[in-house]
Amino acid sequence: MSDLQELFARRLGRYQAAIALEPADRMPIACGSNYFAEVYAGNTNQETIYDAEKWLKGEKAFIRAFPEVDVLRNNRIWAPLYDAVGNVTYRLPGRDLPPRSQFQFVEKEYMLPDEYAFLIDNPGQYLMERWIPRVLGDTAPPGSARANMAFLKGGMAQMMMAQIMRNRSIHLQNELGMPQPMTGFFLAPFDVLADTLRGLKGIFMDILRRPDKVLAACDVLVPEMANLALANADPFRRNPIFVPTHKACFMSPKQFDTFYWPSFKKLMDILIESGYTIRAYLEGDWGPHWHHLLEMPKGKVLCDIDNQGDIFQAKKDIGRHQCLAGGVPDSLFILGTPREMRERVKLLCGTVGADGGFIVNGGCNIPYDTRPENYRAMIDAVMEYGRYDENVKPAPRQERPDAVRAAALKPQGMLTPWAVRSAELGGVLGDEDLVRRPWEMLESMGYNWLWQWVL
Amino acid sequence: MGESGTLTRALVELNEERVLAAVNERLAAGEDPLAIIKECNEAMVEVGKLFEKKEYYLSELIMSGEIMKGVMAVLEPLPGEVKTGAHEGTVVIGTVKEDIHDIGKNIVVSLLKGTGFEVVDLGVDVASADFVAKVRETGTKVLGLSTLLNFTYPEMKKVVDDLSAAGLRDKVKVVIGGAPCNERVREFVGADYYAPDAVAGVNICKEVYGAG
Repeated sequence: MSDLQELFARRLGRYQAAIALEPADRMPIACGSNYFAEVYAGNTNQETIYDAEKWLKGEKAFIRAFPEVDVLRNNRIWAPLYDAVGNVTYRLPGRDLPPRSQFQFVEKEYMLPDEYAFLIDNPGQYLMERWIPRVLGDTAPPGSARANMAFLKGGMAQMMMAQIMRNRSIHLQNELGMPQPMTGFFLAPFDVLADTLRGLKGIFMDILRRPDKVLAACDVLVPEMANLALANADPFRRNPIFVPTHKACFMSPKQFDTFYWPSFKKLMDILIESGYTIRAYLEGDWGPHWHHLLEMPKGKVLCDIDNQGDIFQAKKDIGRHQCLAGGVPDSLFILGTPREMRERVKLLCGTVGADGGFIVNGGCNIPYDTRPENYRAMIDAVMEYGRYDENVKPAPRQERPDAVRAAALKPQGMLTPWAVRSAELGGVLGDEDLVRRPWEMLESMGYNWLWQWVL
Repeated sequence: MGESGTLTRALVELNEERVLAAVNERLAAGEDPLAIIKECNEAMVEVGKLFEKKEYYLSELIMSGEIMKGVMAVLEPLPGEVKTGAHEGTVVIGTVKEDIHDIGKNIVVSLLKGTGFEVVDLGVDVASADFVAKVRETGTKVLGLSTLLNFTYPEMKKVVDDLSAAGLRDKVKVVIGGAPCNERVREFVGADYYAPDAVAGVNICKEVYGAG
């Protein structure tokens, strides 16, 4: 193994050991969303999301400055794709926000209350016919030249983005020995409804006015999100799949237990059974809800505890069963001093991090405006206080080639299943599989393309 | 209380149909719309209290607001002044510039209205100059700055500094709130209060206005 390969293996192994609650030499430096990275390297946020070369260059510069980092960061947004289809669910830096600002989600009622039946009955068709033209402005009115062109551009941009992501991950691995914190993404079914479909106000009235519809829709969304997540996940199963949670923190325990958890658990069970781990951003205060993570298999769900959550309580409640990340308030990164950072990390390492299964982090991210000296102080303190057993040489865990397709996972929906096409053709003359397989593969890619916009 | 109790109870229990039915019945019986609104407001105070006690959550708060909207849609077209008049005081509030998040702010607004405050809600992405102008115009004693994004610390500080420059700083108490806020952020911003949650925010407003 070359030095770089070894470095990659050690970093990945350390990260995986923390997630699995297994012994390692030290605590990993493993934020999932290090917003500070490219800002430190001198990029504007516009450059990072619009210019893939500058993005990669920024990441490389950051890794060279902070070589102790074990996994760097995730970024789902390559803005040209969003522009190609006229996406309206985000405001982007450099486009409709100042270049150094942060991208922001624009929540509206993109699905109407009387559309539940259509969504539940045929989710793919529903998205294509009703919802997509509302969230991707350039695809409306359907059938217009501009709309058709938008889909064409959107498909091409998607392939370009996939290439950018792949390149980036290969470059970072081969040139700097840097693994990814997560690959692939999904949302809890309730959040799909609560974010981009009905919105917060809509969903919170729905759970009082039409609770059965909400529950039925959550059930329908389980396979949709599972298939989306698996399609985008790391085929080698090295990195967790990412799920940001958004609306759970606004729910009563009873509402959470009824509307949020059952379908979310079903979905996570499918992904874990398929051989994956999950990294969940528990946004806001999950204190009343996080005991449910005890119901998941041990060491499979890395939980990022947000600023409003109590990290010490989280450790007590679930920290011996799932790995936790967090503990440093955003304000400490931005307004604090290196001395304060050092004290905070020392405290975390000596308490919640004492036996592993813990990652020092901000509340789900490292802020854009982090003072470099504070970030440096965080790393130095982890190097000093976050040591476990020097004799353990972290190595990547065995992949799960044995992992099978989860029995509970329904096959992915298709807008035009092969059976329909085949009937139109009146059967094919040659080897049917040779025609069917690529047909289904492209149907599936198109189908996932539609679902990605719920994030 | 007979019938009037029915309306209060229906609204506190968020029974939309019964609320509207009760309102229509009482209008048909010739009751003064003002009296009906007054009773609805009392019910909204009750909803706010249940939220404080964590018996109600955001969904109930939103729903009660929606039902109230429905009630006002029936009552407002009727002749006569429907404003209830006396209130606890005025609060100006908004999400600071470059931040478009409003869930937290809306909770506070809803609770403040339920408690009897006159609320001037400037919305989201509000420029410092607009906060300052509104403070001057209304003579409010409380300005609430809301944020979700941690890069807005300097923007919140700018609002406080601009209030000083406009000679208004000693006339108004500035309250900050939202996910990335805490005491240290309050110090940096130069605000008077940090509200860790919506209920705390309302209590601060009550304190400033010397209300119950």
